[in-house]
Amino acid sequence: MMRKMKSLLMSISLVLIMFPVLSIAGEVTFPTFSYEGQELAKVREWEKTWVGKKVSTENIDQVKEFLSEGVYKAMKTPQTFGAPSLWFEIVPYKPYEVSKGMIEATKKYAPGSRLDANEALVNFGDVAGYPFPQAKTGAEMAWNFDSNTRGDTHHVMNEGEVVDCRTRLERHAGHLRWDTYWMSRTEVAPIPKIPEDKNNRGIFRSFFQRHIAPVDFVDTTMLEIRYKDLTREEDLWVYTAMFRRIRRYATSQRSDTIDGTDMIYDDQDGWYTAPTWNTYKLLGRADLLVGRHQDNKNAQRVTGQGFWNGIQRERANLYAVEVVNKDKNYIYGKQIWYLDPETWQMNFKMMYNRQGELWKMYEMFYNEYPTVQGQKAAYLSCEHTVDFIRHHGSPSKYTIKGIGLDIKLEQYQTSSLKEKAY
Amino acid sequence: MKRKILLTATFLFVLMVVLPRLSFAFYLLDDKLRVKGSIYEFSIIGTNIDHKVKHYRDTNLGLMRTKATLELLYKGWECQDSMLNVFGFFKYWYEATPDIDKKYRKAIDPELRRKFQTSRYDQDDWINELYVDYYRGPWNIRAGKQIVFWSEVELTRTIDQINQLDLRHSTPGIDPWDEIKMGLWMFRGFYNSHLPGQLIFEGIWIPGDFEPVRTPTEGTFMGDPPAPDLGHKPTYGGQNAAIEKTWNRSRPAVSLRNSSFAARVRGNSEVFLFKTAYLLDWTLSYYHGMNNTPVARHGTIGFASQYNLNPNTLNGYMDTNALSRVFGFKRPKVPSRLWEYKFEDMFGASLQTYVPSLKGVLRGEFLYELGRPESTINPKEDVASYQKSITGTAREDVVNVGVTYDRPIPVGFLRSPSMQWLGSNGTIDASFGWNEQWKRGDVKMYHSTFGEGQKIQTAFNITARTGLRNNELTPVFRAFWNTRKWGYYVLALAYSPGAHVRAEFGYMAFFAHNVWDSNEAHAKGKDQVYLKLGYEF
Repeated sequence: MMRKMKSLLMSISLVLIMFPVLSIAGEVTFPTFSYEGQELAKVREWEKTWVGKKVSTENIDQVKEFLSEGVYKAMKTPQTFGAPSLWFEIVPYKPYEVSKGMIEATKKYAPGSRLDANEALVNFGDVAGYPFPQAKTGAEMAWNFDSNTRGDTHHVMNEGEVVDCRTRLERHAGHLRWDTYWMSRTEVAPIPKIPEDKNNRGIFRSFFQRHIAPVDFVDTTMLEIRYKDLTREEDLWVYTAMFRRIRRYATSQRSDTIDGTDMIYDDQDGWYTAPTWNTYKLLGRADLLVGRHQDNKNAQRVTGQGFWNGIQRERANLYAVEVVNKDKNYIYGKQIWYLDPETWQMNFKMMYNRQGELWKMYEMFYNEYPTVQGQKAAYLSCEHTVDFIRHHGSPSKYTIKGIGLDIKLEQYQTSSLKEKAY
Repeated sequence: MKRKILLTATFLFVLMVVLPRLSFAFYLLDDKLRVKGSIYEFSIIGTNIDHKVKHYRDTNLGLMRTKATLELLYKGWECQDSMLNVFGFFKYWYEATPDIDKKYRKAIDPELRRKFQTSRYDQDDWINELYVDYYRGPWNIRAGKQIVFWSEVELTRTIDQINQLDLRHSTPGIDPWDEIKMGLWMFRGFYNSHLPGQLIFEGIWIPGDFEPVRTPTEGTFMGDPPAPDLGHKPTYGGQNAAIEKTWNRSRPAVSLRNSSFAARVRGNSEVFLFKTAYLLDWTLSYYHGMNNTPVARHGTIGFASQYNLNPNTLNGYMDTNALSRVFGFKRPKVPSRLWEYKFEDMFGASLQTYVPSLKGVLRGEFLYELGRPESTINPKEDVASYQKSITGTAREDVVNVGVTYDRPIPVGFLRSPSMQWLGSNGTIDASFGWNEQWKRGDVKMYHSTFGEGQKIQTAFNITARTGLRNNELTPVFRAFWNTRKWGYYVLALAYSPGAHVRAEFGYMAFFAHNVWDSNEAHAKGKDQVYLKLGYEF
């Protein structure tokens, strides 16, 4: 009897001790996937018909339901983007391998995550991982997107063309880029953030960029710093090789196009600045064909073509979020972001002018790359931004030099701007 | 002439055929050598040439310059914390207007014309920059011919005084700064410290190399016609040509005794004002170097009178030259070392920061010139400023201030959906500037052809530009206004259609209440349209 009582008491104690852990673990389901169970089975069934098939202007209507308004529009009128025909290939849906660090951080910090009255993430900068793995609102999804550090540090080369599809004139543009998350880190030590004695300005994220083309921009360098303080605007410096001067830039110049491409500064990585500059409304989910495992060698185009051919599209069940900037004079009337539920990356976004017309589309085609830490990170493989009104496009490809590298923080000082620049 | 045209055409043809394959700087020698370059044709046509100048012109051509540049970067070696590069920037130009316009040719002194028409003012003029660049840890040493850029503000160079300008062909803003600034052979070192404020220490030693400012050559479009004016018998060799030649012959020798020194510290500090964080980029600088304009040499001034006709003295030579010109006598031989380039000290500071409440960037520069050398005059001598005899030399202190406020201005009209065909980013990048100069001391005593006796100069400028058709087209408006009612404005349109071809078309107009207020005011009557057509690779 005593033994039974003892066992019962021990069991009750164990349950009491484990209760909080079990309940938290119960709330956080992560990783989350586009499809599971029956949904996945249906997708696999559909793939039996379509995987390996080339979808072109001629048979595009057969998969119309899985295409965004922008892709369908471009593919129906390929001449407007300088191509006789546009095509892509369908590949099977493949879930992302989310890194160990991201899973641990999400499970550790997500249970305590909440937004304040201004839809700002409480404890932003002191936490890591996706704050809302089971996001319910557009704002929560935007914060998940913002928390996707994709391996924490990156060194990449981006080369592309600025294409006027009407005249078929092209201008080559390219840059090398280093960027580092100083906070919300999940992979590169120290985790979750660089200690304050090495980051007394409260830097959240920084990038350094060295242009390699066009000729007039060779050796022009840029440094941008985003802060933990969400009310503080980013600091931007540009060393213009042509004038040999380091100049501060007003970050209200963020709606300027980058090097004459179709992207504005805010468009970098989908949305570069703090989520709090926008309001968000969840529109729902959309089953769409997007580039998640793109080998950029397959992305092809001819001179004068502003839209990639050869994109390897797979089905994914994305979240669609309507985004409106709080600045009434903002260059876009609204944007619709399409976010991937596995990594919260932005697969593409549609930009509308202030009359509500579809103006631009920015498609980001990812691939999974190994990190220095032996994990995988989904990063851009290639991309294109297309302007539907001016029939203009900016296709580009990325060369990954390293993800999860130990990039020296000195790289993000203004002294680096002029170094090795001629 | 035909040969030159043929050569240029062949060169352009080769560029057009061979280089379109290379849409940007290309690499040779296993990617160790980066090659960049350009060829530009730059033409100026005067639109309101003064009738007094007409007898020195067959055409309205102001410039017809073909210029080629070649930029080479050789990556010597690179290992973990050290790197050695060699950088060279070379230029060659030929200015053909004197070959096309015979009267124009006759207006320019042959000695000066040869220097004006091509890049051979000095033996090393074709080398814009050529230096070894060595990095090791926090150190960076650069040795060779270099150009130093220290200014941050638009249009003026408040603290940027080390390399002087070649202003003979055009004006700053139309010609790129790195091509009109003249390189100097120097040693330059940087130390990137880990001190608070990310301090960077910079030191410069220029062991004797010196280039004075090159002002517009007499008889050329940007210069004055030869004076005194001989009306129906135009000929070269006026007073300005005489001055330029005597200045040339007074240039100091390349000697360690003529070394210049400069130092600068650059920092980055965060300050809080009214709970707002401001990240300040600041510099403090010091320069000990020669003033870009010479003063009279004590031993050879000669007595200060219009009747001094001793051609071996400064006053006498100028008087004799003028009389010889008017009466057709043999010109006096140009004496050497009538002038002297003297050292002065300059203390500078600059600051730039983004100001959230202004939604723009504020930049400021300050320069205190200590002991600027000046030639003196007798202010009571009742002749025009440029005729006054020189009595001696003195030193004055000068305070210079420059402030600019850069702000991107959203333009609703450009942002409206009906204007999207323009491909505009909907923003005008505007820069508003204020410049002030205050000369200390009795300025009436100082010799000055322009702005004689003026103690204070106040000027404002504005630059506005935007990008259209995805930056294929860049319209620019630039204006400068001095409160003494002189200034200029420029309307320009730059066109960058593809990877290589670059064009710029513009109109520049000068205005002045009194053309003797400044060198720029004196440009009244040089209104122009200009066209730059180039190919870059």
